Amino acid sequence: MLEFIRPLHAAALVAAAAFLLATAAQAAGPGTRHTVVMEGTRFDPPELTVRPGDTVVWVNRDLFPHTVTAQSGAFDSGSIAPDKSWKYRARKAGVLPYFCAFHPSMKGTLRVE
Amino acid sequence: MKKAGITWALALSLVAGGALAQTLNDAQIAAITVAANQVDIDAGKLAKSKASNKEVKDFAERMVTDHTGVNKSAHDLTKKLKMKPEENSDSKALKTGGDENMKKLKGLKGADFDRAYIDQEVTFHQTVLDTIDKSLIPNAKNEELKALLTKTRPAIADHLEHAKKLQASLGK
Repeated sequence: MLEFIRPLHAAALVAAAAFLLATAAQAAGPGTRHTVVMEGTRFDPPELTVRPGDTVVWVNRDLFPHTVTAQSGAFDSGSIAPDKSWKYRARKAGVLPYFCAFHPSMKGTLRVE
Repeated sequence: MKKAGITWALALSLVAGGALAQTLNDAQIAAITVAANQVDIDAGKLAKSKASNKEVKDFAERMVTDHTGVNKSAHDLTKKLKMKPEENSDSKALKTGGDENMKKLKGLKGADFDRAYIDQEVTFHQTVLDTIDKSLIPNAKNEELKALLTKTRPAIADHLEHAKKLQASLGK
């Protein structure tokens, strides 16, 4: 009886450990994916804080193109057509205000810390 | 220079004033939306080829792209809802105003053209914004039509700010 149960316990432990590791990586490790939606000529959320190594995906849900252009020149998506997206991997820490080159009132801030 | 904007003001005050006084149905709102986008696309196409200032040219190109995108969505929505846009005094006034403004613009050149076009764009977007707020959104019954108007509104506000900045820089 015991001989039969032990392997099951071992398998369960391995599965639990793998699950915990995966959860930890998703929550805190580098490579987390964030999404900013562009709709109604605004960035949502307008401010986002990420860690170095994280990826930010901007999705255009509007009726016309937008851009994601850093004031500092650190990044510039170029024209993103409706229903298309563009991604950027944050590197070093810093504050990166950005805007849409087509719609000057459309502004956002990416904080890398 | 001021003259170029007067027709818009007249045509669109008719829209804003008329719409306030009457109840618009969704088919009429659709016709006003399509007409407003179309007259700005037409003016933008002319300005794209005729403007002398690069920023004015870029602005005109943006107007053509954005308003074409909005009109495509408006067409898709009316098709989906099996709704036939219903011409009315407001949509007709927009078209007449648009035609008269095009005639004026065609007679101008260089910096005069740029200023006249941008003056028109300021007046146009200000009045369209007022019309969206005071009559189109409050009157719209279909939720998808209301959502399209609500989604478009911030772009109109952005175009207005953009045009005002250009107007100030051209005035110098």
